[in-house]
Amino acid sequence: MNAAQLIPTPDVLQVPWGWFQVLLTVTFFLHLVVMNMLLGCSLITFFRHVAGKSTGVNKAIAGKLPFTVAFTINFGVAPLLFLQVIYGHFMYASSVLMAVYWLSIFAILIFSYYGTYIYSMNYEKIVDFHTVISGFIAGTLLAVAFIITNNLSLMTNIEAWPAYFNNPQGTLLNLSDPSLFPRFLHSVLGAIAVGGLTIALYYDFKKRKGDTEAEENIRTGMKWFAGATMLNFGAGTLYWGSLPESVRLLTGEGSIFFLFFIVLGSVAAIFSLIYGMRYQVRPAVYSLLGSLFCMVLVREFARRLALAPWFKTSDLVVVPQYSPLILFLIVFAAGLWLVWYMIRLVVTDKEVRS
Amino acid sequence: MNYPVWLLDVFGGGTLIALIAVVHVYVSHFAVGGGLFLVITEMKGLRENSPAILEYTRKHARFFLLLTMVFGGLTGVAIWFTIALLSPSGTSSLIHTFVFAWAIEWVFFLGEIVALLLYYYTFNKISSRNHLILGWIYFGCAWLSLFVINGVIDYMLTPGEWLNNNNFWSGFFNPTFWPALFFRTFLALMIAGLFGFLTSVNIKDEAMRHKMVRYCGLWLMAPLVLLLGSALWYKAALPPAQQEMIFSASPEMKPFLTCFVFISPLLFGGGLLSAVLRPQAVRRSMAWILFLLGFLYMGSFEFMREGGRRPYIIHDYMYSTSILKADLPEVQKKGVLQTARWVKNREVTRENRLAAGAELSTILCLPCHSTGGPLNDMLPIARRFTPQGMEAFISGMGTANPYMPPFAGTREEAVVLAEYLTTGLVPGFIPALPPAIAPLTVAPLPFDPETSEYILLAGPTIGNFLSSEPEKSGIDMSYGSPVLRAQLIFRDTSPSVILDDATVSYRMQTGKGMIEGVLAAQDGYFEAVLAEMPTPLQPFQPFFIAELQAEVKGKVVAVTQAKIGFSTEIGCRNCHGGRWRQDGRGGLSRATAATILASHDKRSNTSLSVDFAEGKTVVCSSCHGDFSRGTESKAGLLGLSTAMHGFHAGFVADSEGDSCGLCHSTSDTGVSHSFDGIHKQLDLSCSNCHGGLVDHAVSLLKQEAETGQAAKLLSYLQDKGEMTIDYVNPRSAWVMEPDCLTCHVEFQPPETDTAFNAWTEGEEGLFHNRMGEAGAVLCSSCHGQPHSLYPAANRYGKEIGALQPMQYQKSPYPLAADKGCAVCHTVEMEFDMHHPGSLATFRNRE
Repeated sequence: MNAAQLIPTPDVLQVPWGWFQVLLTVTFFLHLVVMNMLLGCSLITFFRHVAGKSTGVNKAIAGKLPFTVAFTINFGVAPLLFLQVIYGHFMYASSVLMAVYWLSIFAILIFSYYGTYIYSMNYEKIVDFHTVISGFIAGTLLAVAFIITNNLSLMTNIEAWPAYFNNPQGTLLNLSDPSLFPRFLHSVLGAIAVGGLTIALYYDFKKRKGDTEAEENIRTGMKWFAGATMLNFGAGTLYWGSLPESVRLLTGEGSIFFLFFIVLGSVAAIFSLIYGMRYQVRPAVYSLLGSLFCMVLVREFARRLALAPWFKTSDLVVVPQYSPLILFLIVFAAGLWLVWYMIRLVVTDKEVRS
Repeated sequence: MNYPVWLLDVFGGGTLIALIAVVHVYVSHFAVGGGLFLVITEMKGLRENSPAILEYTRKHARFFLLLTMVFGGLTGVAIWFTIALLSPSGTSSLIHTFVFAWAIEWVFFLGEIVALLLYYYTFNKISSRNHLILGWIYFGCAWLSLFVINGVIDYMLTPGEWLNNNNFWSGFFNPTFWPALFFRTFLALMIAGLFGFLTSVNIKDEAMRHKMVRYCGLWLMAPLVLLLGSALWYKAALPPAQQEMIFSASPEMKPFLTCFVFISPLLFGGGLLSAVLRPQAVRRSMAWILFLLGFLYMGSFEFMREGGRRPYIIHDYMYSTSILKADLPEVQKKGVLQTARWVKNREVTRENRLAAGAELSTILCLPCHSTGGPLNDMLPIARRFTPQGMEAFISGMGTANPYMPPFAGTREEAVVLAEYLTTGLVPGFIPALPPAIAPLTVAPLPFDPETSEYILLAGPTIGNFLSSEPEKSGIDMSYGSPVLRAQLIFRDTSPSVILDDATVSYRMQTGKGMIEGVLAAQDGYFEAVLAEMPTPLQPFQPFFIAELQAEVKGKVVAVTQAKIGFSTEIGCRNCHGGRWRQDGRGGLSRATAATILASHDKRSNTSLSVDFAEGKTVVCSSCHGDFSRGTESKAGLLGLSTAMHGFHAGFVADSEGDSCGLCHSTSDTGVSHSFDGIHKQLDLSCSNCHGGLVDHAVSLLKQEAETGQAAKLLSYLQDKGEMTIDYVNPRSAWVMEPDCLTCHVEFQPPETDTAFNAWTEGEEGLFHNRMGEAGAVLCSSCHGQPHSLYPAANRYGKEIGALQPMQYQKSPYPLAADKGCAVCHTVEMEFDMHHPGSLATFRNRE
């Protein structure tokens, strides 16, 4: 069967695709940062509980996990929306192929989410269950990450789609794709690195406020960051090797940008690693954010190259209607101001009580 | 068509989305109304300087946070995941049309999260003023989320001008936007009261508990009154098609509508009771009962709103099968298997028929139906049908069942899909083999043209009587009693029809033994009404052979035989299920009858099933007048023939003019062959004279256009027939029939093969009442009965259909054909005195 015949016809856009690409990239970057903090911190606390290191670090992380879940989900909604606008015809198809797993994400996340509340609100009461509950949170989040990785790789793995005809029950995974596990490993190690750096950054704030015990925790966080980042160079290389030839040969449209951002992202990662090993938290954070943003762009170019034989975003038909976009930009700006206003309202409240 | 279909089996048919959506919608409305509840309650606590109320508010906020943010937020995401899996095309269309509305909603969602987290975690930690500001911001963001989502959801129900201009704002501010917004806002406030009950009944201090329960009762009852007002506004704003779909066209909506109507006073009464009753156990139970009632209330509303879109996912734009309305004609032309992307069997072959049918079912049926699930289960529906019935049903979809989309495939695909749905999908289905018919030998009686002074010509007034065997089936929808007519002719150069001093009697073997009687002399013929319906023969045989004998002055002068078509092969089971009652060939079973009556009860609010269950026989013509039985319709009800054809024409498509055979005993694959005359031999079909089923039904409905449901049924049939409704001439059943002379102008060979739309006037114009130009001999005496005109022949034997021509002239052709005038005149004649052309040689020989 010619797999190309299975690719659905896309719907028309209201504004040129570039708008959506920018919105997708920016909102995905925000999601990626918060999501990595969540997954990485969850894994680190679990490993620490397993190792018997149930110190204040774990408690501090536990207290922040519910918020992180909330913002991870919220920041995930926007890129998912913009992704559907440009690549929906690929993603809907791949989602149906693995529908059971895809839909299970929300059920798993509900359990994770409530898990974080149980973990944080009852931290002192459930001492004996810290390992179990943190393991449960980390495990369920890993499962969600694995499912999402499957879908986002299956949507570009068109050759795997005809498997639907032997299994229309929605229980397919993209296991035949050699890049699946390297990609997943690369993402998880990246999350651990971000998680470690988050811990370091949190205690860096504390240190600046005079917490004398913060230094040790900064080191703890930085060790996790550095270790995971070093390992991730290996995982990244493995991932590169598993990419389809059409992507690796760098002959497609935009390959030069793809390569440029890989190099730039890697250099930024090296810098962040150097800063990390020197326990210079903030420079490490800035470098890592730069690296992450480059990797987000790499990811976008990789998708474009993988889909190039079948689809170009420039092929999408546009029937212009700009007023909804303008309204969105106004609301978005107003929303950001509102968030700032609320935080300021609380922070500057003169009656603030502990 | 564009996307793969997730094979869900029992969880299909909307079960999955119903489970997720109703739960989410309940919680998400709480997330809106509950936000206002929090700030108003906090203000109440501050105003009354009541730490207890403030503490209640704080605890309620915690419950609110855990429920709405975690469960509500994630089930909201789940809805998007689910609809994208169940209807990727519909979701893609919504996303692309309203991407920035969704993006705006996301901003409000972000505002909600930040506001709610700050609100809860700063309780008692910041100034009341600032804390209340956070609460108000939360409520504002939550309500604006509702504002945005409401626009998109109601766009799907009433896209309004968007259909013409594709403008974002036209779609968003669609015709039901404002009433729906008010409706949902009041619903949200009401739900806040219901959730408030759940927490306030647990307040430990009794006085405070009593106070807060009463307070929550107000939150329930005050918005409920406003909600009912906005519900009426919402209903009034619905365009006619959607209104009809919810309130009348779709019987499946009735339980939800009833539920909604009955729960409204229950909720109000429950709110009052909760405010009055003090015992804790009662209050706690009442809180949960009201909570569950609220859930049902919400669910009923959402089911109705969703149902109002049928058969579309976006009204008037995209069918639930994900086929665009504008694309349908093209898809119907090319075929689904050629048009859909995710198809394996693009061509139908002998080997892949079932597989191709399964793919068609997946694409066209599974978007709405489950197989074996609790919602919209296909299996019980499919079980009722025979492949032929299913094919006709599929081809006629969307007509009288406007909640179904029109079938999108070709005729071949309809056949293949019908085969799959009946023989492939239903476990244990045993395909009915075409029944073997053993030819019968009935020898014509002897006649000696040299010595016989008389000939006796006889037959029933109608070619075939259809009987539902009321005593066995429990339903009496049979035709009026058969009428047997005879003419006794004295042979002479100038023959004469004899009535005086003559008697004609009959006897025939029926299922209950021999019956006999005498025909009474009328104006030009003898006639007997077989008042007591004869019982069919066992084993099955679709006719009786009556032996007639004429006596003149006590002396037997002529004998003959007449075939009286009498069939119990009434095809209700093709669509209503059940098996043949007799020999697998004929007879309406009680199982079939029960389904028919249940369907009648469901659609017409009758209780016929109760009568049936009590052993009573339901007589259709007692309400729906039937000319053949001499009954009148009850006020406001259509005649039986009009009701039957008018209603079923919307369900059973005209498949090349042979849909009559689904119900009547005329099918080529059946066992009665009630249409077996010369026109059948010439490959004409019922529709050549009666029109296709739709046109036929329209002619009857127009005659009773002012009665009952005629106008509604006619509206379903608009543009469905071969002829424009305006051009169809009205007619009364049994009285105004196709006129032979429409084709055989001046008795000449036909220049057209369509007799439809020119009706005989009055009973005297009917074929069986008409006589030739000489005014003496009935048309039917020489030509046989309508539907069995000589030379009639079927699989029971060639001679059975032409017993009298074979007896009198040794040929199956009409009496006196081929210049055989001597059969009456004893000599050859030179003038065609009976009608022009009567002296011509018979044209259509074998």
